Formats: sequence, C-alpha cells, structure tokens
Amino acid sequence: MVIFLQNLVNALQWGSFYALIALGYSMVYSILMLFNFAHGDIFMVGAYIGFGVSIGLLALSSSGALAMPNWLILALTILFSMFLTSFVGMIVERVGYRPLRNAPRASAAITGLMIGIILETGNLILLGARRVSFPSLVETTVYNVGGVFVTNKKIMIVLVSLLLTLALHLFVRRTKWGMAMRAMAFDFAVVPLMGVPVNTMIALTFAIGSALAAAAGILFGVAYPVLDPYMGILFGWKAFVAAILGGRGSILGATLAGFLLGFTEIFVAMIFPSTLRDLIAYSIILLILTFRPHGFFGEPYSARLRL
Amino acid sequence: MRKESRFVVCLLVVIMAFSLSGRAQAETIKIGINAPLTGDIPKVGEGTKFAAQMWLEDVKAAGGLAVGKKKYTVELVLEDNESKAESAVKVATKMITEDDVLVMVGPQASKQAIPAGGIANNYKTVMVTPWSTNPDATKGRPYVFRACFLDPFQGPVVANFISTEFKFTKAAVLYDVASDYPKGLAEFFKKAWEGLHGKGSVVAYESFTTKDTDFSSQLTKIINSGAQVLFTPQYYNEVALIVQQAHQLGWKKPIVGSDSWGSAETVKLCGKDCYGAFFSTHYAAAGASGATKAFIDRYKAKHGYVPDDVAALTWDAMLLVQQAIQKTGGLTGDLKKDRENVRTAMSGIKKFKGITGEMTFSGGGDPIKCAVIVKISDAGEFTFYKSVCP
Amino acid sequence: MPVMGRTIRNLRASYSQVPLLGWLCGALIAVTLERFAGTPIALALGLPKIPALFGLDIMLKKPILVPNAILYVFLVYGLPMGATTRSSISLTNRLAGRLFRFPIAITVAVHLALLYTTLHLWAGISDYRALVLKLTLIAVMLTLSLNVINGYMGEFSCSHPGFMALGAYCASVFTVGLFVDDRLFGAVFLPPGLGPFLFPVALILGGFLASFGALFVAIPSFRTRGDYLAIISLAFLFIVKSLIENLEFVRGPRGLSGQPDLADLPTVFLWTVLCVWSINNFVRSTIGKALNAVRDNEMAAGAMTVDTRRTKIVAFLFAAFWAGVAGGLFAHVLRYVNPSTFGIQNLAEVLAMVYFGGLNSVYGSIVGAVSISLLGEALRPLEIFKWIIIPLLLILVMIFRPTGLIAFKDLDVTSLLRPKRKPGGEV
Repeated sequence: MVIFLQNLVNALQWGSFYALIALGYSMVYSILMLFNFAHGDIFMVGAYIGFGVSIGLLALSSSGALAMPNWLILALTILFSMFLTSFVGMIVERVGYRPLRNAPRASAAITGLMIGIILETGNLILLGARRVSFPSLVETTVYNVGGVFVTNKKIMIVLVSLLLTLALHLFVRRTKWGMAMRAMAFDFAVVPLMGVPVNTMIALTFAIGSALAAAAGILFGVAYPVLDPYMGILFGWKAFVAAILGGRGSILGATLAGFLLGFTEIFVAMIFPSTLRDLIAYSIILLILTFRPHGFFGEPYSARLRL
Repeated sequence: MRKESRFVVCLLVVIMAFSLSGRAQAETIKIGINAPLTGDIPKVGEGTKFAAQMWLEDVKAAGGLAVGKKKYTVELVLEDNESKAESAVKVATKMITEDDVLVMVGPQASKQAIPAGGIANNYKTVMVTPWSTNPDATKGRPYVFRACFLDPFQGPVVANFISTEFKFTKAAVLYDVASDYPKGLAEFFKKAWEGLHGKGSVVAYESFTTKDTDFSSQLTKIINSGAQVLFTPQYYNEVALIVQQAHQLGWKKPIVGSDSWGSAETVKLCGKDCYGAFFSTHYAAAGASGATKAFIDRYKAKHGYVPDDVAALTWDAMLLVQQAIQKTGGLTGDLKKDRENVRTAMSGIKKFKGITGEMTFSGGGDPIKCAVIVKISDAGEFTFYKSVCP
Repeated sequence: MPVMGRTIRNLRASYSQVPLLGWLCGALIAVTLERFAGTPIALALGLPKIPALFGLDIMLKKPILVPNAILYVFLVYGLPMGATTRSSISLTNRLAGRLFRFPIAITVAVHLALLYTTLHLWAGISDYRALVLKLTLIAVMLTLSLNVINGYMGEFSCSHPGFMALGAYCASVFTVGLFVDDRLFGAVFLPPGLGPFLFPVALILGGFLASFGALFVAIPSFRTRGDYLAIISLAFLFIVKSLIENLEFVRGPRGLSGQPDLADLPTVFLWTVLCVWSINNFVRSTIGKALNAVRDNEMAAGAMTVDTRRTKIVAFLFAAFWAGVAGGLFAHVLRYVNPSTFGIQNLAEVLAMVYFGGLNSVYGSIVGAVSISLLGEALRPLEIFKWIIIPLLLILVMIFRPTGLIAFKDLDVTSLLRPKRKPGGEV
C-alpha cells in the first residue's frame, strides 16, 4: 500500500509535466488541426529562459539592490518566462506556420519539426554543449507521511499545474476570446465571417500554449535541475501522443491524457520489470486506442486531411 | 572554330595559373578525429575536440612532430559523426580513403566505435577509441585500440570494493537499459556481486530509458527492496537526478558509481547530494599531480571547466598515437606501409605513462590499466580513495 | 542581360532535345574521363586528389580552392557532358528511337545498365563515394516507401524507423546465424559461398517481418479516419525500440555486429531498382488510384465501391515491406545494427526527405532522398551549423512549395525514355 501511494505521488508529479505540455499542444491541434512539432522545443526554450531569468533575479536579489525571498523569485521567474516564451511561440507561428496555413498540414508539421531542430542547434551554438543546472530556488523539504515520502516541490508542482489548467479552462469557457477559440475549433471556415480576427486568435493560441510550456519548463527545472538542449524532443513527442489521445478540442481530455501517460509509465515500471517499461506502457496506449479510437473526450469526427 | 580554340587556350592558361596556386604538402601527418559534435552527446564531442586541439598546440609549439630525423607538421582532420552509427562509418571511410589520415582517434561511444572499427580494420588503419568500453569494438580487430579499461574489469572492481569496504551483502542496481555502456556495466557488476554473495544478492535490478528524467518508480522499488547500497553506472546528467531523487524518496544509504561519473559536471549538477558518494574511474581530478594536474589546469584555464574523463582519455589517446608514430623511427611516405608500422609500434607500447594511468598493450587492442576508486569529498572534490589493479 | 537570357533559352531549347539515353551516355563519358584523367586534372588544378562529392566539401574546408573545385567539376563533368550530349543529339535520338521499337523491358534494361555502369565507375574512384552512394540508394527506398503512406495515402505515419529496425534485425539474424561463426548463434551452418544467393531471402524475410509488425499498427488505426495513425505508429516505434533493447539474443542495446559483407553496390542498386519499379507500378495500378481516392475523399471513394479499409491496409503493409528491405540492406552496409539508430532522429530525417522531395511523386522521393543525403555529406565541414542550414532550407522549400519540390508527378517510363526528336532530324 505504501509503495502504491508513493508511486501515486510520483505519478502525479510526472503526469503534471505531460499534462501541461499536452495542453499547449492540444490547443493548437484543436484549432488548426496541426501537429506542432516545435512544441517540445518551446518547452526547452522556456526552461532555458526561466534559467536565465532566475539567475538574473538571484543576482539582483543577492546584490542587495532588490532583496527578494526565494519564493517570490520563483513566482516572478514563472511569470516573466511565461511572458517571454509566449513571444517565442508567436514568432514560431508567424515564421513557420502562418505562411503554410493553406498548405497540406503535414507540410506545416515538417516546418515545425525543422524549427525545433533550429532551436536545439541554436541553443547548442549559443550556450555550448554543457548542461546547465537550474538554480535551486526552493530548499527541498522531505515530509514522511506514514512511509510515503513527499517533498514540498512535488506538492508545489502538482498544485501549480492544476491551477494553470483550471485557469485555462476558465479562460476558454468564460471569456470572449475563449469562445472565439472554441468556435474556430468547431468550424474554422465560418468564424472569420463572424468578425473574429483569425490571425490574432491563432497568435494568442500559440502564445498561451507556449506560456504553459514555459511554466512546465520551469517546474521541470525545479524538479529535475538538469537542462540540456535536447530535453524537449521526447517530451514533445509524448505530449503529442497525449494531446491526440485526449481528443480534439478538449482541455480536460488533454490534461487527463497527460496524467494517464505519466501514470502508465510510472505504474508499469512498478508492476512489471522496469526494463520492459516502454514496451508495456505503449502497448497499453495502443490497446486503449484500439477500443476507444476517438480518444477520451473527443467526438468522433470525419476530419478530412487538407492535402 | 577560332572562337573555340581561343576558349581552349584561355582554359589552359587558367589551369596553369591554378596549378601554381596550391600544391599538396608532402611533409604533413594527418590525424583524424571522429567526434560526436552534434546529436545526443555534444559534450563528449566538445571534450574530444578541445583535448585534441590542445595536443595539436603542443606539437605546433615544438615546431612539428619529430619522427626519426625529420620534423613533420601535423594536421587534424576533425569531423562530426552526429553521434549516429552510419555517420561515424561515413566519416571513418572519408578520413581513411579521402583525407589519407595516418591514424584515426575516435569515435567515442561504442555504438559508433564498433562499426567504425570495422572500417578502420578493413583499411588497415590504426584507430584508437578513447572511451568505448564495449569488448566488441576491438575484438578480432588488430588495428583497433582503446585507451580505457573494459566493463568486465570495472564491474568486479566495484563489487569487490563495496564488499570489502562496507561488508554489505545486498545491492541494488539502477541503469539505462537503452544505452550500451550502463547496461554492460550493470550486467558485469551483477555477475560479480552474485559471485561474491550468492544468487539473489542483487535485490533490485531496475532500469529506465535514455533521456528519462523521472526515476521515482524505480527508486521506490529499490528503497523497498532492502538494498544496502545503490550502484548506478550512469552518465553525470542522470547521476544528478538519480541521487537527488533517491534522497527525496528517503534513501540514506551509500551510492556508488562508475567511471562515467568522472566529470566536473557531476558535482556541479548534483550539488551537495552527491557528497560522500564513491565511484571507480580512470583518474582523480582533485589531488592529481604531475602531468595530470598540468593537463587539468591547462584545460580549465582555457575552457573554464575541469575536463571530464573523455577529454583526459582523448589526451592520452593522442599521446599514445604520438608515441606510436615516433616509435616507427621514420615515415616512408608510403601511407600503407606507414599505417602498418604505426600498428606494430602501437601494439608494442609498454608502460605508457598517461594522465589516466599507466597503460600496457600486450597483443590485443585493450590496455592493461589500473582503476581508481574516488570519493566525492564534502568540498565537492574528487579525492583519491583507493587504487585497484588487474 | 537580354543576350544572356536569350543564350540560356537557346541552350535550354537545344538541350531539351537530348533524350535520357543521351544524358546517360554523356555521364558515362564524363565518368570514364574522370576515371582515367581525373587525378592528373585534379593535381594540375592544385587539388590534393579527385574531389569526392563534386568538390563541395573541399570548397567548404578550404575556401581558397573554390575556383579550382568549380573548374574541376566543369572540366570533368560539365564540359564533356555538355559537349557530347549536344553534339550527339541526332545520334542518341536515333538510337533511342531504335531501342524504343524493342519491348519496353529491353529498353529499360539498356538504360539501367548504362546508369549502373556510370554509377559503378563514379563510385569506383573512392570507397567513400561508394558508401555514400549505397546509403543514398537505401534512403531512396525508405523515402519512397514512406511516400506511399504519407503522400499517396495522405496519412501521417511515424513508424518507419520501426519497420526498418524489424527488417534490419530479421535480415541480420538470418545472415549472421547462417554464415558467421558467432558466439550467440553458434557455428557456421552454411558455406559462406551461398551468402549472395540467400541474401535476398534474408531481405524478403525482413520485409515480411516489417509487414507483420505493420499489421499491429494498421488494424487499430484504420478503423476510423483521423490522426490516430500518427500516434499509434509513434507508439509502435517506441514499442519496437524497447522490444529490441530487451531481446538478449540480438544483444539488446549493445547492437548486433558482424554481418557478412553482402550488400555491395550492384546488390543495393538492384534492390533499389526493384523497389522503385514495384512502388511505381503499385501507385499507378488500380489500388494506387483507389488509394488517392481514399485520400481525397474517403466517403466518396467508399461510395465508388472502393474497399477503403482494405486498400489502406494493403498499402501500409506494402510500404512497410520495402522499409524492412531497406533496413536489411542498411544493416549489411554498415555491418552493425543498434536499436538507438532507429529512433526519433531517424524519423525526422526520413520525413524531411519525403516532404522536401515532394508528396505523391516517385521523382520527388528520389530527388528528396538524394539531395538531403548529399547535402548532409557535403555540409559536413560546417559541423554544427549544418543543422541550422538544412532545416532552414527545408522551411524555405515548405513555404514556397508546400507540397515539396516535385509533387504529384507520375513516373511514366515510356515518356521518360522516348526519343526527344523524330528520327528524321526535323525538330
């Protein structure tokens, strides 16, 4: 039982990352039916921006010019980095996706893939091959709750990611912009006729998705303080699985699918020999899709590839 | 017709002009460096490149490489193998057949060194891989050498060390199943440990996949298995995560690693969590003396960080190559003969004093070399703890 | 400027009459020239030796030699090819016309023989060229087979490296088990002399295994329309990789080495030709047309009595088969396989080749595979900046030609080989 609870805690943290990244992926996918293969690398860029911002704030704080407690630095880092990374997302959209709006969507996926490679290589050129260590803004405290070890970081990560998911949910459900986004996901062709500025809305979608990725990146840096230029690749592809598994146009679905992916990976390693983890975890995903081919919350649709 | 003849004359003049502009220099020795500058392990490529360039500086400062009675200028042919097997093979073929290198140093990782070694052996060109620990890289290949010890040696070294030092009988292993080096070492350790303490004494044998960052599930299993020590033969970036997460999950027992921990980055990324851990390696950076210290200081001054084992091993490989070339007693100018001579010289190297230890080649391409057990001190330095020789 | 424009137009007009036979003959002459006079010409031009890949890497390594390398390429390839093709237009057209009267198979065989001779002579100059050529041909097979799924069928499949891995491992186990004294598979079963004869069996077995694996992707994916193929195939890729890493009898992540040296240039060339031929026939057949119909409108295709699910599954298995064969060849060219070779990186590369070259087009796949492979080799001296330039180039191609360089173009052998001028001589 203790082992199970311990793994539940582990899986909650691990799933939070998949969920946050899958959210951004899912938003773009819902509206444009586009595989945003650069998303994993935006996550990486977000983590690096967070690294830069936090180093800067720490220096500022320790120089005495503006003394701040560490939790404030962390909060400011998250906000600043989300803001800055949203611009990265918008630039990617402007350069890589907008010119291809009417092209086959697979071609846009390829530009995304290529932009991802450029972001990785650019990072490698700028910062060198060294991995960087994310500054530890929060002193780790380990709580022992009846044999289950929980750290303050884990609690914070899960809370922040749930909070962000909730915020996004409210945004999409309760605001005018959110409504426009839902409308675009519903029927992309008609929405401009209703006076919705499509380009702005798409840019906003990318901005929000990238901001979430940046938040995920910083939380990742807090939990796993080793950043390297290629860290986003695997995350990107797995979030891609989660986003589509969640179903099109469903924020709840993407979140749940992200957590499901995290839970599968952790619990498969718990029950089976961990050498077979990927084999069994992805076989389970395959089985789920065999019996529930539309994902969790997505409606069956007869989307036609615009090719 | 006249127009065409004028054209031909012009062409001839141009050709004559160009032929004067550059002639191949005969007095150079070319050494190929096959390094993963991009791809999964750019850091390894960087270390390789920097160490090789430092060696080249030395040679240049000495006015060239003296072989026999002549001094040769040395040229490095540095190529990126993108840390892909097929690319490493392409690079090896290109260096040997196109660039006419005398010796090739690299590739580093076994997944490239094994196929590239096949190419080098086919073309009868000496290849020295500084870092590949997989037995297949040199097996049955008289032209392929390495500068490091092998997994079958290191596994028992660590197992014996833990047994005699701590008197433990139950060990746990956590390794990357998708990576050749950790997997091999984990297997050899398990074999050695079970040889010492009987079957079932490795109470948890857990794995993950390359690029994973969360090991909580595996570590939970390990912690609940009753193991007394955790052995994790991982690279430094994973080491930091594993050790930190283990501590967060309540692990307070010793953690032991292997030579892949031997990078300055380990402590930088891991911080205080790694203090007090042990690992086996080629050399200990802190408390190093003589040539080793000189190398570390120079590297650090130049590139801003303490060199890791790849850089140190590459440096040794370059010096090995240098000694082998000089031992031939003079180059004939016939590449085929020279390559053969270098091979003969290389396989006869005895008691080579490298910065990562003394090496002796006896017949095969694998050196006989001592391992060092290093403890990470409370100041975060790698301190010499014990030396184990075969 | 107008003068230049006119000259170019004139040149184009005159060269447009050169039949494929003429180009092949010209190339053959150029390569023969390089074979016999290449070294002296290169030395006279101040180059250390014959530039391996049209002087591209020399130019990047030593910019001072750029004019020399260009001059070399012009002298050895440009000039002889230009001159002979131009001057022999009537001759080659007449020859092509005469060949054309034979059954098409013979005509094709003659052209292929010429092409192979050219490639053989070209690759014979250095082993590096031969290796690059072999890997490029394998890339052509892979790209083409992926194009069947991503181009002709209009789905997005990510499992190609997985199929390749299955083929590579199956073929390797077969040959290593039978012909090599290995500690895993025991002593030699059959005399090595039989190797070349049984090698096709190994490749075909590899192809079948890949097809069999494809079944696990195809059955769940093609029940509905949508993007599920993309993630199911991605999950499949992870599964295959994990499976091989755990298979101790193929040595897991350590990789399987020691494949016999069976994949020489003629073998690879022959298989590539077979692959191009069969895929071209496939996509031009009824089932290929049905596939296009399914892509453009599945419902309408269903209404026109196309069995959409069966069509898609057949095409998918067919593509997987060729990916498996390509994997088998790949393993025997490198003589080593390792599961980490068949990962996401490999996937990105094949996808890039398909979309760069052009969807739904055999020409496109060939162009894409050849140009990305050669570019990757030629830009090697740039080290890390190579991975900025190649993606940028691809982005530009995607922006200006969203379906790739040569998309939606049928490869029609008859019109390709036809003489470009009537035998009488009138234009």
